[in-house]
Amino acid sequence: MQNRLLPYWLLVPAFVIVLATTIYPVAYSFITSFRAWDLTESRRPQGFVGLDNYFYAATESAFLNSLWVTFIFVVTSVILTVVLAMALALLLRRKGPMHTFTRIVLILPFAMSPALIGVSYRFMFNPEFGVLANGIGAIFPALQGVPWLADPDLAMAILVLTDVWHWTPYMTFMCLGGLASIPRETEEAARIDGASNLRIVFGIILPQMRGVILVMAVLKTIFALKMFDQVVTLTGGGPGTSTETLAYFIFNVGFRWFDMGYASALAWILTAIMMFISIWYVRMLLSERKMATA
Amino acid sequence: MKLLTSAIAIAASLYGAQAFAWEATEGRPFEGQTVQVLAVKSSQFEAHEARLAEFEEATGIDVVYDYVPFPNMKEALTTEMVAGGDYDVVSVMDQWVVSLQMLLTPIGEEMEAQGTDLSDFPAAHMRHGMLDGELIGLPVRGHVQLLFYRTDLLEAAGVAPPETWEEMVTVAQAVQDSSDAAGIVLPYGKLSGQNMMVWMNLLWGNGGDLFDAEGNPIFNSPEGAAATETYIGYLTDEIVPAGSAVFVEQDAVNSFKQGNSAMLPVWWWVRSQLTDPEQSTLTADQVGFTALPYVDGADRTTFTNTWIFGVTEESDVKGAATEFLGWLTDPALERDVLLDPELDEVVAVHMSNLTDPEVNERWGGMHQAAADALATAEGIDFGDNWPRVSEILETAISSLASGEQTDVQAVLDQAAEDIVAIR
Repeated sequence: MQNRLLPYWLLVPAFVIVLATTIYPVAYSFITSFRAWDLTESRRPQGFVGLDNYFYAATESAFLNSLWVTFIFVVTSVILTVVLAMALALLLRRKGPMHTFTRIVLILPFAMSPALIGVSYRFMFNPEFGVLANGIGAIFPALQGVPWLADPDLAMAILVLTDVWHWTPYMTFMCLGGLASIPRETEEAARIDGASNLRIVFGIILPQMRGVILVMAVLKTIFALKMFDQVVTLTGGGPGTSTETLAYFIFNVGFRWFDMGYASALAWILTAIMMFISIWYVRMLLSERKMATA
Repeated sequence: MKLLTSAIAIAASLYGAQAFAWEATEGRPFEGQTVQVLAVKSSQFEAHEARLAEFEEATGIDVVYDYVPFPNMKEALTTEMVAGGDYDVVSVMDQWVVSLQMLLTPIGEEMEAQGTDLSDFPAAHMRHGMLDGELIGLPVRGHVQLLFYRTDLLEAAGVAPPETWEEMVTVAQAVQDSSDAAGIVLPYGKLSGQNMMVWMNLLWGNGGDLFDAEGNPIFNSPEGAAATETYIGYLTDEIVPAGSAVFVEQDAVNSFKQGNSAMLPVWWWVRSQLTDPEQSTLTADQVGFTALPYVDGADRTTFTNTWIFGVTEESDVKGAATEFLGWLTDPALERDVLLDPELDEVVAVHMSNLTDPEVNERWGGMHQAAADALATAEGIDFGDNWPRVSEILETAISSLASGEQTDVQAVLDQAAEDIVAIR
């Protein structure tokens, strides 16, 4: 009897930790999203307001703007990261004299803190003493002194650039893993039949990498939806509200404006978006497997 | 009954300064207690901490400082307000006081018992320590704006420091004609409302204000629009560096320190950075200061910034904490720091020190200029919606500065509408 119960007892500490650190806060924030809670008035959540916080979100221009900004950011950063990672992986697949060194150098951006990346790029694009701003100005004199981060479109482009720079190495390694699992025989047979490199990539490699690319795209989408650190340290959401992502907006609502009920509702909207993407991803994977086994 | 402790008397005589007005409570009733202090990182507070031995010896109270950098300070205070219990004394910036009001406890009677002279604090600073008629904190760190300028560049251009904002444009253009430096550097980027701090002076100078007596936005009035047109006009007149559109305060300060700009309107505490050889390319001879320009025909104005220290609601050692506040807000402690030749600390919040001849002699009259500015400075009532209001206003200014939007009146009207719509 004791032996049968022992495994469950051993699970108790882990269950308690997960309950305290994940399940309880998540459940608490869900309940809070249906309540009014102005931290300037009360340390504890106030009365229930039904779906008011969610209805308010649907009409608030600042929230709708942050949704649009997040959409633009996610689409551009995911596409660029996946394409660049795939291209780099194809280049790095062949072993050359710099093989190990290149891989080590490649991982460095991913090892950096996102907040630090934001600060660094802010300095590098400073029109007065930024190394990138001045470097671009030296190559293209017409661009000397351009205030890169002062333009809404350029600021968004630089925000995307920092994210792509950060994530591409990790995604490249995912691609390399996927490429290693593709049987070389098919590619060699295609070469013997006279297929060009481009044809091999699009006709043989990419179809077999579909599952890996899907995983990469979904993971990157979820990470991009949470974009926060670089917004804080690089642009502060500006100029205007041009780079104010949803995660940054939620932070403002909760920790600067102290509207915890509304912030919880916004957080759950973000969670719902991520859950929708995750469910879609699992379905896609399952249908892939069905096709593979059919 | 209070007892003037020997330790403090010795300290005062050593520095040749005024005697400390603060006296430890007789009988050391709080001996053995520990006061935990949460303070924003600043050299001024570190100077106070370095002098703690006097207080600790006189009272038997231990004081432990924890510092948090400014960008994280509000989050630290919020955590303390919600979770509570870690700190007894906290430093709170004026704009946060109302929204963090549950963190602080009234201290009026206790400070009266400490003999603290509230009339020695300028009204613009003192108002942030009052909430609903009750004293909840005392100013310890307070700033006014000054105009710092490059003496060599203005001299080479044959111009004097500007008295008015209108003259400022002429001076800036003259400097640009005779050097590579930008005329003036201003922060138009978004960070904690920093891009509003010069704009507010133009708003006041043009006869406008943020809100009317009922709290309705009036910054979108013709006066407000004129002030905003002027402020954004400095960008289109190209008398500021192109990067100003996205500069935050520190970027503007860096531009001046690197010799790229000739004038800088900013808080007075920045002065020590401007000629610090480890941070700046400028020497003391190259940097001058004057009062912030005013709008021609209007009163002199300055935006103020105040840090109050208060006792937390959850503190278990409120008596010891208020005793510590009494010592911390003693003008003699502030004067001691101001005159310490080892330090480069200019910040003062006591009128007695701002007008002190010895202090002014050391700092070239900077404190008298601050006292003059504070005499007409009213400060702002920061309501509990201020963080949201500030965000809306700084976003509006940032949108105009970046060219994302160009219609000043439409942007101000939208900002006013957004503020009214705050729940």
